[in-house]
Amino acid sequence: MNELKLSSLRRYLLLQELMFMAGQPAVYHCHHFNLFLDQTIDDALGPVQSRKLRTSAAREFASRLIRAVCERVEAQTPPEKLQVACQIFAAMGHGKLDLNADAQGGKAKGSHLHYGFAWHEKYGSQVRRRDPADAFASGFAAAAVEVAFGLTLGSMAAEERSCVAMRASGCDIDLTPSAALENEGGPVGEAESKAYVGPPEDGMCEELIQPIAAGLKEFTSGVAGDERGLVQAFGVFVTMHLAGYYNRISYDAVAAIEQTAPQSVGVLEDLLRESGHVCVFNTFGGILVSPEWEGLVGPLPNDPLKIVAFCMAIGRALGMGRWVIAEFEPEKRLVLRTSSSYESVYYRARHGIAKTPVEYLFQGAALATAQLAHRVNWTGKPQFTPEYYKQLFKGGVPWRAVQTRAIVCGDPISEVVVTKIE
Amino acid sequence: MTDTSLEETLERVPSLRGLFVTAMPDCLLFQSWMRDGEAWSGEDVASYFGDLIRANREGLKALQAWSAEMQVTIEATDSLLVLREVTDFVVGFVFDRSAPLGMVRLHVKMVLALLDELLPRVKPEQRPRGVRIAEFLLRYAPDAHTALQRAALRSGIGVDMLKKPEQLASHQLELFERSVCDILGLDALKL
Repeated sequence: MNELKLSSLRRYLLLQELMFMAGQPAVYHCHHFNLFLDQTIDDALGPVQSRKLRTSAAREFASRLIRAVCERVEAQTPPEKLQVACQIFAAMGHGKLDLNADAQGGKAKGSHLHYGFAWHEKYGSQVRRRDPADAFASGFAAAAVEVAFGLTLGSMAAEERSCVAMRASGCDIDLTPSAALENEGGPVGEAESKAYVGPPEDGMCEELIQPIAAGLKEFTSGVAGDERGLVQAFGVFVTMHLAGYYNRISYDAVAAIEQTAPQSVGVLEDLLRESGHVCVFNTFGGILVSPEWEGLVGPLPNDPLKIVAFCMAIGRALGMGRWVIAEFEPEKRLVLRTSSSYESVYYRARHGIAKTPVEYLFQGAALATAQLAHRVNWTGKPQFTPEYYKQLFKGGVPWRAVQTRAIVCGDPISEVVVTKIE
Repeated sequence: MTDTSLEETLERVPSLRGLFVTAMPDCLLFQSWMRDGEAWSGEDVASYFGDLIRANREGLKALQAWSAEMQVTIEATDSLLVLREVTDFVVGFVFDRSAPLGMVRLHVKMVLALLDELLPRVKPEQRPRGVRIAEFLLRYAPDAHTALQRAALRSGIGVDMLKKPEQLASHQLELFERSVCDILGLDALKL
């Protein structure tokens, strides 16, 4: 078996800034996004259905990833494949999984699992959690065992029995044989990504954006989980995550609510946008005030256009798409475009043409970019804490984001117009 | 504080940094006094003190150890807090941490005797349960700016309706309360 090296498995789609891990769409996201998105799915579907969906989505896309990585490193035996799965899980910043299972099932023991650990860190002192948080790890563990022993997708049920988010000392996942086989959804890989992107275009400040994006990609290529299997940087816990997981739980939840509670679709979509908003505000903000950023780019100016340009560079480096600045009028209007997004690729591949723009991350990100540009005093070295976020947004966001063009709707590019509410 | 005799008394209590009178059961600030230089939000402090006393009361009842005379003392890093129920109010004292406990008890007793004469005897009117549920949610939910949206998604009730919680019908109130319990990880709301 060859050595597993994360950086050699990662690549970007040329000029489109979509990222792949062993050919599987991947993107960097922080714990703020991960926790808020999972929480929104819980709010929409309730804990039981949500956990079922999140575990299933994790299983599906982890299965593709583990198979692809095993093939590349030539892992052939079940122990080798299980080892590869645990290595890749930790390298991507999801924590440590210890798998003790065979084709008849077994146990997965987790330590510092990203979701449970980060939830406990962020919310543990505020509220009591009554349901386990690590559906992603559960689905991943099930997929690892299925791949290792050549089992059909869904033949291994995974149930987290104890979770640090519920104040247990560790996370324990039971793996048991299941007759509830799952269908693998249609492919969403590099080929589909190439099919569902528009012609790449340049926007304002490209001379600033492109070299920074390249530098950040270089920087992140060396980033991998620490001894805990976590990536703690820029004031957040970062994961390299499977885009398919995010997409499937978001769009399947919306589809379910359209059927069962259509009056609640709007509020669900608002919360999905908020996931993008909280993510970009905290993670991008944290990156911008980090010593690493200062080393790469220099001190931050209180120049809104430059802050927007920096955000475009960060978005590209994290694999969110080729974000460009189409228009900018300080304190009034910001128009962002992209020829590619992990959301539109998935949606078009799985659902076809959408009736309305449903690129929630891009919408929330555009709104947050305008906030970072206009409402943060950068020379004052702000701390991107939950208190700071609450202080800025408890009265709502004084800007409005409207998606005016969308690849999911058949347009060649996606566009979000952000305007200040007068 | 409007009563000058009380205010003068408080000024003379050594080590006393602030006093908050919370009207129960709504946990609303009734009166407050802060020594010059303190910049607390009286409304926030009052509501949390009220909730704390309520939770303490329920916990002691569960232990069959509750009595009307109970007093909560909290020894924080740089302050000493004393909370006490007085008829329909909770009175919270904030002292310097260095204040001797015996002196603190003495001053608390003296001030409470004065307050007993000054505080109104009429029970404050209880506001609609929906309002109190909404306030409780906004006070304790993480990411409070999205709390009503989350409750709307969980309950199936529109956000606009939740913004007027006093108008909720009884079955909506049940759904709203259940969603708030779920968001906060509570079995029931003791409001």
